[in-house]
Amino acid sequence: MARPRRAKKAKYKPQVYPGADKVSDRRRKATDPTKKLAKFRSIPDDNIVLLLGHRFKGESYVSVHPPLDELVEKYDPVKSIVEPTPGARAGDRIRYIQFADSIFYPPMAPWLRPRLYMSRLRGCDVMVYSGRQLLEQRERDIEGAAKWLLETEVYDPARNAIRGITVHGHSLRLDEDGLMFDARRRYKLNKDTGEVEYIKNMHAEVLDNPIPIGRPLTEREARGHDCTYRWDVAAYKSRTEILTVLARYSRGRITGGFNPELTEIIDCPR
Amino acid sequence: MKYEDKIDLYNDEGKVLAENIPIEALHPYRNPYMAEMYMTLKRTGIVDLGKLEEMLRNGRTGWTSTVGQDEIKMPWYGLDLDLVEDSEEIAEELKKLLQIKEGDDTNIIELEGGSLLVVQLSEELLRRSADYSPAFTRVSVALAQIIAKKYGIDNPLDRPYRMGMLKNCLHGRYPQYVGPNSGNPVSTLMKVPSILEGLGTGFKSFMINHVVALGNNRTLEAVALATIFEQGAQAEMGNSVGWYERAQLLGSAYQGFNANNFVLSMLKENAKGTAYDVVLTLMERALANGVIEEPPNRYPFVQPSGYKLYGLKDYAMWNAYGVATLLCAVIVNCGAMRAAQNTSAVLGSWNDYIAFEGGGLPDPDAGRVMGTGLGFGFYTHGLYGGAGPGAFTMDHVIVRHTSGFLTPCVVAGMCLDAGSQIFRPSVTSGLYYTLADNLPIFQNPLEKVAEAAESVKGEI
Repeated sequence: MARPRRAKKAKYKPQVYPGADKVSDRRRKATDPTKKLAKFRSIPDDNIVLLLGHRFKGESYVSVHPPLDELVEKYDPVKSIVEPTPGARAGDRIRYIQFADSIFYPPMAPWLRPRLYMSRLRGCDVMVYSGRQLLEQRERDIEGAAKWLLETEVYDPARNAIRGITVHGHSLRLDEDGLMFDARRRYKLNKDTGEVEYIKNMHAEVLDNPIPIGRPLTEREARGHDCTYRWDVAAYKSRTEILTVLARYSRGRITGGFNPELTEIIDCPR
Repeated sequence: MKYEDKIDLYNDEGKVLAENIPIEALHPYRNPYMAEMYMTLKRTGIVDLGKLEEMLRNGRTGWTSTVGQDEIKMPWYGLDLDLVEDSEEIAEELKKLLQIKEGDDTNIIELEGGSLLVVQLSEELLRRSADYSPAFTRVSVALAQIIAKKYGIDNPLDRPYRMGMLKNCLHGRYPQYVGPNSGNPVSTLMKVPSILEGLGTGFKSFMINHVVALGNNRTLEAVALATIFEQGAQAEMGNSVGWYERAQLLGSAYQGFNANNFVLSMLKENAKGTAYDVVLTLMERALANGVIEEPPNRYPFVQPSGYKLYGLKDYAMWNAYGVATLLCAVIVNCGAMRAAQNTSAVLGSWNDYIAFEGGGLPDPDAGRVMGTGLGFGFYTHGLYGGAGPGAFTMDHVIVRHTSGFLTPCVVAGMCLDAGSQIFRPSVTSGLYYTLADNLPIFQNPLEKVAEAAESVKGEI
């Protein structure tokens, strides 16, 4: 006798982002946590600590409350369900890293960063404001995240910068070395090594020794990693699919907010 | 029965509390527990006798700022009265003056050794008044008369400044200003009607930290309380009439009252996940339960790249799933960080995931959560200054623009904070912890909503 066939639960296949062109692919790659970001450079942990400037090299982490295991809290089943990050468990301070992204062939953009962060990082706080994106986490978590963000393909030393203060520069022309404008002159191109060096940390405090952070991407490479549409990267018309989705989204928001009973109009695919 | 939708209600431990409840049983105007809650909010006034005694003794009154009661500092006009010691007598007199007839439901509870009086007016009185101002006006005038009589300051010709000082301590700057001062020793639970933000916003005039304290830092219980307050206000503002009613009821059931164990089971599924993983669970469930459906395999339903525009079967239900998932995303993100500051990150930046994952389906509350969340993020971070998320009132101009689905998420975030905030509930809302301990109506709201819904199920 044939065994009864067990109904297989259809697993949902994430579609992440619309569009078939390479810019869409970049955006999809940034959002999809199953895609691994390529490692472009390697930066020692100590240099990350120096660049962030939140603590001295080798200094222990400062805590803002006792470790969770020692903390006496009121009964709440939800607290025991969600697993805290290592930093939260230890009661670390909450620290930040802030990126400014140029509008000229950026491998990452402020509006795309929250999707990159919230799909891959646990316990993160993001906030966007004209040309910058803030990421806050518990201290030891943010150091891990910073390392990952600076070492992989989402960072171009010329067109992305770590800036805690004086963030202005994302919409300005690149300078003669191809670097994004920085009123605090935190970094410069070392012409001997061809690498960008940070001479000040994120808060524009002068470092004892310059920290090399890798070579800038060439114009050709940068275009290949661009996440924005422009005439010489991906043409306007290639956005049709995204525009279809956004149009549907907007109509759904307008009609759904006006009258939630208008399911048929909201559902219309075009 | 207006709507076919039926739900099961669960508590925050996953225990079923009531089954097959028609959603109308959760309407703020149908559910008996919510009725009792709203009546309690209106009829309750708080008298801080300890504070009043101190203000009178030091001659310090007027406007409160962060450094204290410092608008008027006239210790030479101070009055040394032992109000807390005589609290029992004062409470007795107060009851006599406030009750309409002997033996009615006027109630006075003495707390903290008499330094705090919780005064509850009779329901008959509230029925006959235009709003709930008597909980402030009648209480403070009655108290003034009792104190004047008891301590011999009731002769207007004998050192009249004494009565002036008493008036100032009890009424603050009112009526020069539209209401009593913040930090007034006599206060109502909600903001007094003359300083409300708009028509019908009374029930949501609580500070978010107060709701956390009333829920005793228990996430889903505090969320339920916030939902009761918010939905009461939505009903009063006209936002749950006709077209909106079903969407509001479903949204509040799924987000606020853990309907069908949606929130809790989603949390368990994503205990080690990120805010994005929660969206995938939402899509899985919405497809499995027929809220959305696979589109036909042709253009424009399936785009050239293979990207699908999922079909929408029921917008109100999709919205309910959306707002419940939003709460889960906040809990997953804040629970991992054990801090409250990242609520706004989820509220403002996470909604895009839903749009792009669902093929352009509208995000929670048709985009209002996202718009409000972004502004909320600006004002809870250093971008424009502002305060911690818990220090906002639910009707604050920054957070009031959704249909009542944003503030429960902020409440959840504050419950999960392990001590990273300056404005934490234990600092701003000590009184409300005391109230939650002593007024049983604020305890176990999930259970009580479910019981009350069960009791009116038959009528619906």
